[in-house]
Amino acid sequence: MEERKAMPSADGLGLDEQVRRILRERAESLAQADWVEEVAETRRLLLFRLGEETYAVGVEDVREIVSGFAVTRIPCVPSHVLGVINVRGEIVSVIDLAAVLNAQQGAARAPGGDDGSGIIVRSDDVTGMLVVDEIGDIIEVPAASVEPPLSSLDRAHAETVSGTVYWEGRLIAVVNLARILQPVGERA
Amino acid sequence: MVEFDRSAFIQKFQEEATEYLQRLNEGVITLEGDPKNRELIEQMLRDAHTLKGSSRMVGLLDISDVAHRLEDIMVKIRDGEMEFDPSMSDAFFEALDAIVFLKDNAGTDVSGQLDVPGLLERLSAVAAGSAAGVDAGQPAAAEPPAEPAAEPVPAKPAVPEPEAASRPEQPVSAEEQAPGQKERASASQGPAEEKLQTRTQQTVRIRTEQVDRLLNLVSEVVIAQIKAEQHARDLRIAQALATDVYQTWRRVRASLSVEAEAVLAGIDDDLRMIDELVNDLRQRMTHMLKEYSDDVSRASTVVADLQEHSMAIRMLPVSTVFNAFPRAVRDLARQFKKDVELVMEGGDTELDKKVLEEINDPLIHIMRNAVDHGIEPVERRRELGKPEKGTIKLAARQEGDHIVIEISDDGAGIDPAAVKAAAIRKGYLTESEAKSMSDREATYLIFEAGFSTSPIITEISGRGVGMDVVREFIVDKLKGSLDVESEPGRGTTFRLTIPLTLAIIRALLVRVSGQVFAIPTSSIEETLRIDPAEVIKVEGREVIRRQRRTIPLVHLRDVLGLEASEDAEAGKLPVVTIGFSGHRMGFLVDAFVGEQQIVIKTLGSHLKHVDNVAGVTILGAGEVVPILNVPDLMANARRMTGRAGGRTAVKREKDQGPRRVLICEDSFTTRELERSIFEAAGYVVETATDGAAGLAKLREGLKVDAVVTDVQMPNMTGFELTRAIKGDETLKEIPVIIVTSLEREEEKAEGIEAGADAYITKSVFNQDTLLDTVERLIR
Repeated sequence: MEERKAMPSADGLGLDEQVRRILRERAESLAQADWVEEVAETRRLLLFRLGEETYAVGVEDVREIVSGFAVTRIPCVPSHVLGVINVRGEIVSVIDLAAVLNAQQGAARAPGGDDGSGIIVRSDDVTGMLVVDEIGDIIEVPAASVEPPLSSLDRAHAETVSGTVYWEGRLIAVVNLARILQPVGERA
Repeated sequence: MVEFDRSAFIQKFQEEATEYLQRLNEGVITLEGDPKNRELIEQMLRDAHTLKGSSRMVGLLDISDVAHRLEDIMVKIRDGEMEFDPSMSDAFFEALDAIVFLKDNAGTDVSGQLDVPGLLERLSAVAAGSAAGVDAGQPAAAEPPAEPAAEPVPAKPAVPEPEAASRPEQPVSAEEQAPGQKERASASQGPAEEKLQTRTQQTVRIRTEQVDRLLNLVSEVVIAQIKAEQHARDLRIAQALATDVYQTWRRVRASLSVEAEAVLAGIDDDLRMIDELVNDLRQRMTHMLKEYSDDVSRASTVVADLQEHSMAIRMLPVSTVFNAFPRAVRDLARQFKKDVELVMEGGDTELDKKVLEEINDPLIHIMRNAVDHGIEPVERRRELGKPEKGTIKLAARQEGDHIVIEISDDGAGIDPAAVKAAAIRKGYLTESEAKSMSDREATYLIFEAGFSTSPIITEISGRGVGMDVVREFIVDKLKGSLDVESEPGRGTTFRLTIPLTLAIIRALLVRVSGQVFAIPTSSIEETLRIDPAEVIKVEGREVIRRQRRTIPLVHLRDVLGLEASEDAEAGKLPVVTIGFSGHRMGFLVDAFVGEQQIVIKTLGSHLKHVDNVAGVTILGAGEVVPILNVPDLMANARRMTGRAGGRTAVKREKDQGPRRVLICEDSFTTRELERSIFEAAGYVVETATDGAAGLAKLREGLKVDAVVTDVQMPNMTGFELTRAIKGDETLKEIPVIIVTSLEREEEKAEGIEAGADAYITKSVFNQDTLLDTVERLIR
């Protein structure tokens, strides 16, 4: 008790004033917290190019970006799996995103080819590398502006896209990693 | 019954549970600050309830028990009987962590690592409103006060509940205590004290995931070391070259005549320079080689130790699995009305945890066979002058870098004549082939896919998915081998040889279509280089003759679906012959690359299962090489050479579109469960709510490949339906599979008498049993 009494006098402030100050600070910090929360409602997206189209993937799902990799072909896998790569001892599937998205950019990649760049992504417990033509910028958009995929898309395509967002006048599809990274050969 | 395979459901449960656990964890934290949040309390109650229910569905009874206690506590909080108190959080978190642990280790025995009964008691104490339950100082907490809860919680189940008794996760600990003893111990000392004891143990609990990550890194180090050793060898070659150059130079120098010296006088300085340089190079190389070789060999000892010790982290005594067996064998014995004793040896032999996890099911399967087919009924044993009690011996021991597990019984043994007869009946053998077959070879027929000497299929045996699956599993998953020896009248011994660890095997590296593949050496019989002239064409198939046996040949690239490459060696053809399940097959490759130790890695999180590929390895140069899966290769190669039993099934699928099955079942849940199982496997499913409706559909001309029926249904039972189908000229060819909760022998007999083709009881029901059975029958 004695110590508490001693403190205000040391500060030269009365107890009332101190309480008021604390309350004011609290109010301010609360207001600020609110404000921060509002701003946090954005999504960061990594853009990439696939043929003529620009697509995006949520930054939170991206583990790393790789260029110049040696793909080992694995026999008897679906055609959109180009093979596997060795990332510091971890074996990661290489997925031909163009083949999955059926992007109208002509032929799918040659199996075992190592052109393009790779985005290592993670969804649930599955890690895979998406092969794309070019890595773009990271953009920040309001979360609310990411809308459900266009209803005009056919169903197969719609499943591979989790949402769309307008950015700089372009419509960008955010790929659905849960669908694209669906494990191969898992027993139902 | 010991559960056999619920893995597919367990996986679903694991996914589902992760979500609930996460929410419950968050809920506890929120409740700490807001203990009266009604909505949250209700949600947590629901989550705990769902966890309880779904864990019970998949047979994870420990989780169910823990979730049940949490539910009890939440009910009381909801009903205002008690208030959430932050002091309860510890107990909650402990419970949630325990569920996470049990969930992640689903199906394996973790009772040595986790004290579930103790936890349950602590939770009961919390539910009873005794805050002391979480207070580690008071042994009094062991006695929970009278239970006001709706469902009384047995604090000390002296008589285990039936479900509890049937679970495989029995309490196992070093001193092999009976459950009763354990209860007594906790009653006298109290759970709190027990908790203190475990705390003082000099162990750290590590998530297996972390250990695996560590091992992953260690295997990288091993690979780097293999690479370094290769460099040392390269360096030795370079050093030898330098020495050669030096010596050659010395000879040249010495033999230069005096006249030549005069001619060369102009470049004398250069010559002296070369002399010095060559000498210097040789010395430096020699020095470097010595230093580097020393370093490498020093590092190699360290790496070997590092590897051994890190592997040892995952080593567990086989008793962790074995200890559940006496109980399982006793249950089986009772089921088959036999008298059997299980004798176990070598329980302290240690094995990699991964191997251990995989080994439980095959062993159970073999013991099931021993009880069912091996050990004779008591009366028969008496007549034969054998001891009335049959003995199954389970012995484990280490032999070099392998573990050998023998399961022997003193039963009837395998009768080669009966096996041959069954094989002829099933069309695996012709009469003449059977005659020329030795008894030993005949014994191995039991590993033939779909083989069975039993007239009706039950879930226990006779399903023909027994030994072939077990063997395939051991070869494929465990990279081991399974052999059988039998003496009629004296008994049978199965010998399982598995590598100490799954991480490293010897493999042959071959090149096919410009790519390198690894084949585990354990399955390879020989490697040959054959003259193209030795290849004989028989009925459009290519074969070679080896030691009076005909071996079909197949191009490995065709099996793997790869295109032919131009750089195939001309001249002699490299062939790898592989023996598996009594078959030999020659695989043509483009070239042999070499043989070496390889570190096995999985194909990663995305490729869960790939036909023909068991995993990958990383070679010294960082090159990723697929490891081939021998059972798959053999099955596919046999299909290609037109000798596989599965050939007709494949054809059928192509010719007639999807297969159809009719499910007659009055329970909505079971019907929908079965429907989803069949639909997931690509069947077209028709349903009927009772036997009469099912029969009507069939009589109306519904074409199905199989009928799956329940027994007890309104209007017409499954037995009546079976009789009706089997008595109808147009329908009698349709296989009928009875799925029932009736488990008594008489009922099974009625099923057989009615003409059912298979009989599966719901207690061991799982989708694999069901699908395997149906698939086998409609071939």
